[in-house]
Amino acid sequence: MTNSFVLRADERGYNKILSTGATASYVGGHPDAFITRFSSFNFGDYQDGRPGFGRIRVFGDEAFHHPGCSYNMHPHHNFIICAFVLEGKLTHINTLGGLEELGPGDYYAFSAGSGGLHEELNRHVEPMRAIYLWLLPDHLLLPPSYTRGHFDAAAGLNRITLLIGDDAGAIPIAQDARVSRLVSDVPRSFRYRPRSTGHGIYAFVIDGTLRCDGATLKRRDSTAVWGADEIICETGRGDTDVLFVETIM
Amino acid sequence: MTDDALKRLMCLGCGFSYDEALGLPEHGLPPGTRWRDIPADWVCPDCGTPKSRFEMVEIPYAIGQPAARAVA
Ligand SMILES: [Zn+2]
Repeated sequence: MTNSFVLRADERGYNKILSTGATASYVGGHPDAFITRFSSFNFGDYQDGRPGFGRIRVFGDEAFHHPGCSYNMHPHHNFIICAFVLEGKLTHINTLGGLEELGPGDYYAFSAGSGGLHEELNRHVEPMRAIYLWLLPDHLLLPPSYTRGHFDAAAGLNRITLLIGDDAGAIPIAQDARVSRLVSDVPRSFRYRPRSTGHGIYAFVIDGTLRCDGATLKRRDSTAVWGADEIICETGRGDTDVLFVETIM
Repeated sequence: MTDDALKRLMCLGCGFSYDEALGLPEHGLPPGTRWRDIPADWVCPDCGTPKSRFEMVEIPYAIGQPAARAVA
């Protein structure tokens, strides 16, 4: 039996997190910087939506405004935290020794495992926009790890490219989950076959329009489908950019 | 598994894990402290997330874990 839900862009949780006042120690860049976060699932003070999907717990569509805007260095355990930079430049610093600036197409997977800290920073005037994805791990307190990758939109045009997962060229993670991206410039039909009917797919439209499992999705709309052998996605006219997260349910 | 089996919970704000079997002796919770016996106003020691935003998980430990606390 196939199940699904559609989440419209404006149905997501929304937070504007200031670098002043109560959140000044959490968000850097005082006084002008602020972060905007649209949450697909319950996170922080947003608790009116869905708790997650499969092993996904956080799916944040975030923007860091003004130079110096950051989540200050803070600790994590267990979660596999992934970031996909869409616009601008993200400086990522972690306690595994990682210190690098990521641009559009770059992404990372930071598995906090038995403990790690990170900071996320925009040093520039141009806003930094990224998708933040948190997944439960398949084991608690794993050795922490950090891996960076790059999605080449030109090379991957009009096909679904695996970014995170257990195929060659993708970043492996300690969870039965995969992340793929599709950039398309022509209307076309794509077939996504999950590993089994026990896996669900969360499809998030970064840009453009996508017809997926009977629903028409616009920019920042998303859908989740589970219990299906496959889902058929039709991209619209013009540029379409979609992130797929497949997860065991 | 019975309802009375010792449970593990994860903070949804940062991923900090609480194991009833281990407690958090350094935070005044002896081994065996049940989640239900921890005050409702307790917060995650790492990130301040309220107790209500922890999720019970049935995720096994990685090999060699939980290392440090098993000795205590
Ligand atoms: Zn926490």
